[in-house]
Amino acid sequence: MKLDIVTPEGALFSGEVDSIVVPGVNGTFEMLNNHAPIVAILTEGEIRIKAPQILIDEEVQDKFKVTTGEAVLPIHSGTVEMKNNKVIVLAE
Amino acid sequence: MANLKDIRTRIQSVGSTMQITNAMKMVSAAKLKKAQDAIEKMRPYAEKLTELLAGLSASLDSDMGGVYADEREIKNVLLIPVTSNRGLCGALNTNIIKQTQRLIENEYADKNVQILTIGKKAYDQLSKKYEVIANKSDLFDSLTYENIAAVAQSVMDDFAEKKYDKVVLIYNSFKNAATQIVKTEQFLPIKTDQNESNVVLDYIYEPSQKEIVLELIPKSLKTQFYKTIRDAWASEHGARMTSMHKATDNAKEMKDELTLQYNKARQAVITGEILEIVSGAEALKG
Repeated sequence: MKLDIVTPEGALFSGEVDSIVVPGVNGTFEMLNNHAPIVAILTEGEIRIKAPQILIDEEVQDKFKVTTGEAVLPIHSGTVEMKNNKVIVLAE
Repeated sequence: MANLKDIRTRIQSVGSTMQITNAMKMVSAAKLKKAQDAIEKMRPYAEKLTELLAGLSASLDSDMGGVYADEREIKNVLLIPVTSNRGLCGALNTNIIKQTQRLIENEYADKNVQILTIGKKAYDQLSKKYEVIANKSDLFDSLTYENIAAVAQSVMDDFAEKKYDKVVLIYNSFKNAATQIVKTEQFLPIKTDQNESNVVLDYIYEPSQKEIVLELIPKSLKTQFYKTIRDAWASEHGARMTSMHKATDNAKEMKDELTLQYNKARQAVITGEILEIVSGAEALKG
């Protein structure tokens, strides 16, 4: 599935991922391929992206914590929308 | 005709002024590019937010905006004029200050008007005549979303507490480097335009639709505020670039004129000298 993470100050990530874990207001949850369409509010926490290969722009690299197969991005708040295997995270 | 030394000094001083204005022009051009990039960068975020909000509020009833859409009788108005901290940018700031004064004296003459200035120029001018409750000029020192959102949040809180019944932004909107348009925009209460949206997908909502809308509205307001400040920032640099360009042109013209004058004066001196020598020789012959 395709993931886009955007903030008011620019896009942070755009690419193919296997799964994403987000901090929802009612608890953390994970989204995999073909997840049902969803809109959810996110609270303070971490977004975990899992993919075999994670390419992050050099400019924003210091915002992520990257390990093999996983990247972690801390956020204050946000919104996530998923439909047709396309995830958009509006993060702050 | 002025003497040679005077003209030479003037040429030099005009020349160094030209260098300064030219350098300022370059700096503004670079900063303008940055400011425009920032506006460009926030566009995906703003668009997605608006889309989500439109889709959600279309599928819900009216009365959606919560505390921020509360339309009440207008008694207290908060004006937020946005100017630059520095001058030398043409009529940019004067336009904003004039527009603010016009609003105070005409449209909101019978209301209780309060002012929150962003930018030193607005504060300097308006605090002489009116009461300015706060001045957030330091915002321009670090234009991060976080800082700007904090100011927006405090304004929104005051509105929710009914300190003001209407909040209006006055700022310069960037059209191009030569043109900036003064805009007067109602910030609060937000106008909920009930446009029909046909894309109602069967989403899972977490938490409820209503809660999501209530969460998104403040975000969209902050984004609007951020965009306004960014727009004003780009306008400032656009205006400064143009006015410094004009100043450089003027200085060049002046320098050319002075050089001409200098050469004429120099020639007159030489002619005078020759005349003296020739007439001296003539006299000896006689």
